Amino acid sequence: MIQSALIKKQRRILVILLVLIMATMVMGMGTGYSSLSYDRLIPVLFGHGTFKEEFVLFSIRLPRIVITLLAGMALALSGAILQGITRNDLADPGILGINSGAGVGVAVFFLFFPVQSDSFAYLIPLIAFISALFTACFIYLLSYNRNAGLQPVRLVLLGVGCSMALSGAMIVLISSAERTKVDFIAKWLAGNIWGDDWPFILAILPWLIVLIPFTLYKANRLNILELSEPVAIGVGLEIQKERILLIITAVALAASSVSVTGGISFIGLMAPHIAKALIGPRNQLFIPIAILIGGWLLLFADTIGRNIAGGIPAGIMVSLIGAPYFIYLLLRK
Amino acid sequence: MVRLYTKDLNIGYHEHLIVKNLNIEIPDQKITAIIGPNGCGKSTLLKTLTRIITPQSGTVVLDGKQIFNENTKVLARKMAILPQTPESPGGLTVGELVSYGRFPYQKGFGHLTKKDYEVIDWALEVTGTIQFKYRPVDSLSGGQRQRVWIAMALAQEMDIIFLDEPTTYLDMAHQLEVLELLQKLNVEQGRTIVMVLHDLNQAARFADYIIALKDGKIVKAGNGEEVMTRDVLKQVFHIDAEIGRDPRTNKPICLTYHLVKGE
Repeated sequence: MIQSALIKKQRRILVILLVLIMATMVMGMGTGYSSLSYDRLIPVLFGHGTFKEEFVLFSIRLPRIVITLLAGMALALSGAILQGITRNDLADPGILGINSGAGVGVAVFFLFFPVQSDSFAYLIPLIAFISALFTACFIYLLSYNRNAGLQPVRLVLLGVGCSMALSGAMIVLISSAERTKVDFIAKWLAGNIWGDDWPFILAILPWLIVLIPFTLYKANRLNILELSEPVAIGVGLEIQKERILLIITAVALAASSVSVTGGISFIGLMAPHIAKALIGPRNQLFIPIAILIGGWLLLFADTIGRNIAGGIPAGIMVSLIGAPYFIYLLLRK
Repeated sequence: MVRLYTKDLNIGYHEHLIVKNLNIEIPDQKITAIIGPNGCGKSTLLKTLTRIITPQSGTVVLDGKQIFNENTKVLARKMAILPQTPESPGGLTVGELVSYGRFPYQKGFGHLTKKDYEVIDWALEVTGTIQFKYRPVDSLSGGQRQRVWIAMALAQEMDIIFLDEPTTYLDMAHQLEVLELLQKLNVEQGRTIVMVLHDLNQAARFADYIIALKDGKIVKAGNGEEVMTRDVLKQVFHIDAEIGRDPRTNKPICLTYHLVKGE
């Protein structure tokens, strides 16, 4: 029932975004702390570079670029789902306590379990993922009502409350810790892309491969969920089941992203929003666009961030762009 | 035996019951109006009949099965709901909205079949909204929008349609337009219509069966002649009404009324 003109427009936007992403990737490959000039990129990519050039490109820059892109995509998709099921345009994966939950988990682990730094690096995504999931489950259980089932509004309110409480807990934890450890945690919280090695890609890629098609499969149900609850029930949608499945999907996506990048806000809020402004509210059309915008935004923020002023964490770069956008949204309403 | 009835229905939470021990039968292929003062439980009853609210005890039976245990998609092929003021996301076209009514027949990604397109066009045709097919729903007037939502319900190819105050916020002409459309669906296609109405004269004019509720209990249920009486209206609305005859339709009509004083 969607008009073909609209579908063509969506294809055009997708192509433009892909070009933007490619351009930003090339830009990211050629800039950084070590020198690898642009005219050497193609030879190095085809295996004609020196050892040093290959090391810089394949072991440092490319994995980071890929991770950033994937994490941005996961956050955007998570945000799109959450905005759909809560019918609230200001919903963001952060409201489910995912960022703060992961933060506390990592802080506790880092402060109280002395481990070797090598193995620690690989444990962090796991710890972050588990604590994010744990926090989301906790909020979910609190907001579940035996009579009324899962109420999205309750979920959002409790999520915001829990996030605050966890952030408070975080400050208590940090204030009692040593200086060097605090520096590390602060950096993690600020959303420093942290998993920047190929194995970390495995922490996030499988989720996307499974959950992007799954969400698109559910796109029509999301459309119907965005109508009022009685209408959705009336056309025979099992709203409790669909909501739970979709929340799990959103949590898994956000948790996998936070596990490699640390706390990054605003991507999940902005990307779906911009996508809807570009193409309208139909989930099957705007979700692919939101995914690409999310990936591109984070990639762009990280590429800029790591090249100026000795490296600003991507999370802060995103906030620098995101906060004004958020204020703009609030003012417009 | 009617297809849809309730059995000892109690709706509400704990001690605070909105609807108490209610047993009603909804006559098949007729227009039923539920009337009553604000807070009497008429909307709550409508929501329970359509499985939006689960009752505390008792049940609703459709075709011999309790609706709360029935597959919700199967139910959606039998009954459709039009809530009081439904919203649609900005920019959604009329055709798309009506296509959501095909959900109970869809599998997988929700691609529309040739049959789906035919039913959608038919529903738009019947409700006189085919010319708006490619227009955004939010660009239409209140009356047009209401007809579009009825088209979405029709796309479900249901036998029973429930409406919660379908004429609220519409001007007199558009109120009549919506009610006449519902009457047409009843007379020409044999669909059962159940609606909550505020306007007693509209209820008397269009409904074959009127259920008058007060404090979650039935005061009187029957045809317009039986319900539109001085005595019933006094009990239900606490008004002293002057009942006459509509010179055109010959149905009972409330000409004027006072609040019952004293007591």
